[in-house]
Amino acid sequence: MSRKTGRRLFWAACLVLCLAGFLVSLLVGPVRTTPGDLLRFIQSPDRVQSAIFIDLRLSRAVLAFLVGAALALSGAILQGYFRNPMADPFVVGVSSGASLGAVVAASLGFEAAVFGFSGPGLLAFLSGLAIVSLVYALSLRRGGFKVETILLTGIAAGALASALTSFFLFMRSDSYDQAVFWLLGSFQLAEWGQVATIAPWVVLCLLASAWLARDMDLLALGDETAQALGCPVRRVRKVFLAMSALLAALAVAVSGIIGFVGLVVPHWVRILIGPGHRALFVSSALAGGTFLLYCDLLARNLLAAELPIGVITAAVGAPFFLYLLHKKR
Amino acid sequence: MSAAAGSGKNAQERALVLVALLFLAPALILWVPVLKGAQDLKDDIGRPFPLPARTPERIVSMAPNITEILFALGLGDRVAGVTRFCDYPPETRSLRRIGGLVDPNIEVIQSLDPDLVIAFRGNPLRLVDRIGKLGLPVFVLDIGEGLEALFPLIAKIGRVTRTEDRADDLAAELRSRLEAVDIAMLGIASRPKVFVLLYGQGLWTCGGESYVDDLIGRSGGTNVASSLPKKWALYKRERILKDDPDVIFILARSSEDFTAGRDWLLRTAGVASVAAVKSGRIYELDENAASRFGPRLLDILDRVAKLLHPERFGERP
Repeated sequence: MSRKTGRRLFWAACLVLCLAGFLVSLLVGPVRTTPGDLLRFIQSPDRVQSAIFIDLRLSRAVLAFLVGAALALSGAILQGYFRNPMADPFVVGVSSGASLGAVVAASLGFEAAVFGFSGPGLLAFLSGLAIVSLVYALSLRRGGFKVETILLTGIAAGALASALTSFFLFMRSDSYDQAVFWLLGSFQLAEWGQVATIAPWVVLCLLASAWLARDMDLLALGDETAQALGCPVRRVRKVFLAMSALLAALAVAVSGIIGFVGLVVPHWVRILIGPGHRALFVSSALAGGTFLLYCDLLARNLLAAELPIGVITAAVGAPFFLYLLHKKR
Repeated sequence: MSAAAGSGKNAQERALVLVALLFLAPALILWVPVLKGAQDLKDDIGRPFPLPARTPERIVSMAPNITEILFALGLGDRVAGVTRFCDYPPETRSLRRIGGLVDPNIEVIQSLDPDLVIAFRGNPLRLVDRIGKLGLPVFVLDIGEGLEALFPLIAKIGRVTRTEDRADDLAAELRSRLEAVDIAMLGIASRPKVFVLLYGQGLWTCGGESYVDDLIGRSGGTNVASSLPKKWALYKRERILKDDPDVIFILARSSEDFTAGRDWLLRTAGVASVAAVKSGRIYELDENAASRFGPRLLDILDRVAKLLHPERFGERP
């Protein structure tokens, strides 16, 4: 099978799975609904059903898809950026920084909503971006800019932020539900406001990364070579880092930390369709969104009470990842 | 001629206005309190709440104590959904469950199409907000630090369900029982030191901000953990030995739990040398009633007062 047909097959499968995922998301929930109910609702909407189908289930599915796309794209960018398959939004400290901001806001009782973000969501977003800027600035100071330095600085800053997060959560033992939300993620509170807040940015970053993908391909050859081949290395690196940080911070701000998507999905995609970055970025976003859509379906339907989605992403993602890795070898 | 016609017309108009005013005045007087009421009602997180015109028909209760008060107000048949912890009165067991306190299911609540959702401060506020965003009327209540706070709580639930009269009756009944204990405790000679154990994991007890602390004080005792500025607190073993409580109450779900708690306290906890253990004054309190900020706290108050001061209730000390 040629690479091109393989790619087409992959896209077709992803699209079918994605559409099916949305349909199932609409039909399945704690309140029993049949396809007949959905059809009748489409013909003559009533208030209660509209709230369940549109306000609760559809907004949640769309948000899960967008966050999955954002995380996977962020991971794909960072893996290319660091030329290191271990990279994901955690290593540059975005996720940990964002959860720290959220937990501090919650501890201070900063609950008001601004621009579709909750108070903690907004602070999560800002602190996620702040920690990446800090990591970047610290890495720059040592004369030249080295990828290893930013990677290690990021890991250290992330560990520090995680420690502070745990400290704040420990100080407020009554905020257990908050702790679980920010450390393991959930789409329980999804609403259209959040979708509207992050959708434009996810689309914009996807377009920009696809447009700059050729430069990312050149970076894979090494910075000097890329420079020699006419790629403005410094500028391209800055833009990519900013985009991946933005995507991850947005994702954490609306849904808490969801691990594994950013690390694993780009790998799956690379194994299945090859390393070209343009296809990799677009496919990672599509596959990441679809993956998280199904994970959220499991999270809200597996047990009577909702599971944190981070539990599902790791439990489902890891075995499948190992399987693909070994099959490849 | 034209002037006279004009003045006649004016007089007619004036008469009309007068008649209209006569009819309107009672309506206005009737309306003023209603309008004022609508502005006055606020929930316990300070959000204004439009007062419903009639008693809501499908009420969702998001906490066991709220469920109890709703039933005590005779609204049992209007309660559409309760939490999985709501088990009193027994009629609640056949009701639709909306989930727990921290994990209520929004979709289930929405499917019940409630015209009133009563939440409590222990529900995650973000979740309460999400329910509000669906357009459901959510009224949030807090629990108080003392038994007195029961009265505003009942009054607010009465107000928001438009059962003000029944709420007044219930409050009056509870008030008379509270005062009976207050009177019985006038001029008591001693205040036994009390330790309350929440049986479960370790030496959990009630601090000074808990309504249980107030309940013990009203029953003529002193809570040894009173100085802890918390509702619930993990107590230190050495401090119990030093405090040397005269009476220990164990909050237990069943008599087996109580026995297990007492055995644990005597054998494992290392506090067997305190006065309460020596004199055998270790008593059970129904956790189900004592842990809910509702009308049954008066039963607990009666029981604690009688156990601490039997001489005050015409029983042999």
